Amino acid sequence: MTAVDAPAPEMAADDWTMPSLGAAEYRRRARHYRFRTVRRAAGFLSPYLIVWGVFLAIPVGWGIFLSFNQGGIVDDRKFVGFENWTRAWGDSELRTAVKNTSIYVVIAIGVVFALAIFLASLLNRYKRGSNFYKVALYFPLLAPPILGAMMWFFMTHFDFGVLNLIERGIFGGDGINFLGDNPNALLTIVAVEVWRGLGFWVLFYLAGLQSVPEELQAAARIDGAGKWRRFRRITVPTLRPLLLFALVIAVIFNFQLFDSVQVLTDGGPRLGTATVVWFIHKRLFKFQDTGLAYASSIGLLVVVLILTALSFWLLGKRRQREA
Amino acid sequence: MAGDVTPDPPALEEVPATDEISDADAMAERLAEAGRAKRASDRTRKILAYVVLSLFVVIAIGPAFYLISPAFRDSVSLFTYPPEWIPSEPTLENYRFLFSSTSYVRWAINTLIFAGSTTLLTLVTNSMAGYAFARLRFPGRNVLFFVVLATLMVPVAAVLAPTYLTVNTIGDWPIIGNWIDIDTYLGLILPSAVSPLGVFMMRQFIETLPDGLYEAARLDGAGEWRIFTRIVLPLIKPALVVLGIFVFMLTWASYLWPLVAATDNEFRVLTVGIASLKGQFVTDWGILAAASLLTIVPVTIVFLFFQKWFVQASMAGALKQ
Repeated sequence: MTAVDAPAPEMAADDWTMPSLGAAEYRRRARHYRFRTVRRAAGFLSPYLIVWGVFLAIPVGWGIFLSFNQGGIVDDRKFVGFENWTRAWGDSELRTAVKNTSIYVVIAIGVVFALAIFLASLLNRYKRGSNFYKVALYFPLLAPPILGAMMWFFMTHFDFGVLNLIERGIFGGDGINFLGDNPNALLTIVAVEVWRGLGFWVLFYLAGLQSVPEELQAAARIDGAGKWRRFRRITVPTLRPLLLFALVIAVIFNFQLFDSVQVLTDGGPRLGTATVVWFIHKRLFKFQDTGLAYASSIGLLVVVLILTALSFWLLGKRRQREA
Repeated sequence: MAGDVTPDPPALEEVPATDEISDADAMAERLAEAGRAKRASDRTRKILAYVVLSLFVVIAIGPAFYLISPAFRDSVSLFTYPPEWIPSEPTLENYRFLFSSTSYVRWAINTLIFAGSTTLLTLVTNSMAGYAFARLRFPGRNVLFFVVLATLMVPVAAVLAPTYLTVNTIGDWPIIGNWIDIDTYLGLILPSAVSPLGVFMMRQFIETLPDGLYEAARLDGAGEWRIFTRIVLPLIKPALVVLGIFVFMLTWASYLWPLVAATDNEFRVLTVGIASLKGQFVTDWGILAAASLLTIVPVTIVFLFFQKWFVQASMAGALKQ
């Protein structure tokens, strides 16, 4: 705080040109100065802080309060103490949602990271035409998740999905029930999200790989280090800090899986693709059992805040190492 | 590029130990052969790499390209066997229906209003706040910045109910309730413009500007506002473009908040509108394909023109933090 409260250099500059002031006069001027800096800062900050305060900070506080209440969206709100929290703990549907989301997060991130590192290292080595490949791989990110999911209807629909047409036409099977069966449905959602996110992660890791100095690789090669050895001893250590940070960020975003689930399966079949956010939305706006939704919202918030703190910590460590 | 053409020097283990070869010529021959073999295996590996990359490109853009087929066909033909890949009787019927019997145009306009205003609002508020955090000294600055930054990752879903109730409550107030409410543009836009990511980005960027700039301007008698609008804003233009693209892409693609904040068809945006075309029981797939295709084509065109900015913007979210 000291740096903040100290008068700016211009104040000092004013001071020595002026005759010496009495203590009271000095205090008055200091107060005036502080008032002026606050007023000036408030002018620049208030447009953002008002929007942020009303539509984010207040809702966060209100949400915590709401988690001890029931109703309030269409019916009257009533205080229920810890009831939501105890019920949320034992609710089987919420448990299924947490379980599905966790399975989804582990598989999706594992697959998308492995593929992305693989493709990024290919693009890093074979540079001819790599711009075309980068742009093409990035393409799925342009469409909103909703539209990406819509496109995959035409790939995975039981009757006319392209994958099933191929399966029936070439392999003579009966067709695969991609969305109407467990665990197919969740795996299909994983595939769709991997498809959507792959381009981003390829570019992300490509940027990381390109920061590995050429000379290091060349030196290792001259020393007789094989390909695998170079990958393990040079590429992995340089990517590791990036990887951890990326992992935390990816968990934060993937834990909020909703759009494609809502469109492709709406949580089904038999809750096979129910996710945490899907559960929250459904309880709030369909079932009207709002108490459970309030509690699980705050649960989600706490998990995400912890992960955010972790990501900042990792980033700080990376900065320190670079410095 | 050099790495593609000239092969690596043969690795040491491929060259037999010298005591096996007495003749220098034979040694040279063995070396050349090892080089040739390596070159050949390099070429196969390279071809393989491009085959793999191309396969992933097909997967990435294939689903969008396939939409062309059902978009210009009668939906009934989707269910015929053998499958009809290329429309035998191409029809614009799906598009006629889309424009005459759904509110597609309304949704598209709403999306532009929604994403455009959110972007503009974000750019204005975030650059101002970023400037204050970067340049102005005021008591409590660090604490305030930390508190704002702590909300960086708050999920939309985690504050869905209280945000909805906040907007709904404001909607009951006199006068201001006419402007901010569920099913109003401002009710949709304001809660979408809260993320501190831009504030953080702007602060980082403004901090890198040299101090001399401000001192010169201050000596010339410019106030803070003048320094901000005349000196800082022109200098941070590239950062503003990147932030603008990032926010626009994020906003127009968003689904959960518009789904609950704009239930009235008059205020629906494209994502919610198109999702509503998929009926609970009966869905006209041709119309769905037509709507999806029509929506991604303009974005793709814009993207192809400004791809470098797009890629930078998407990285900004993850790397520049």
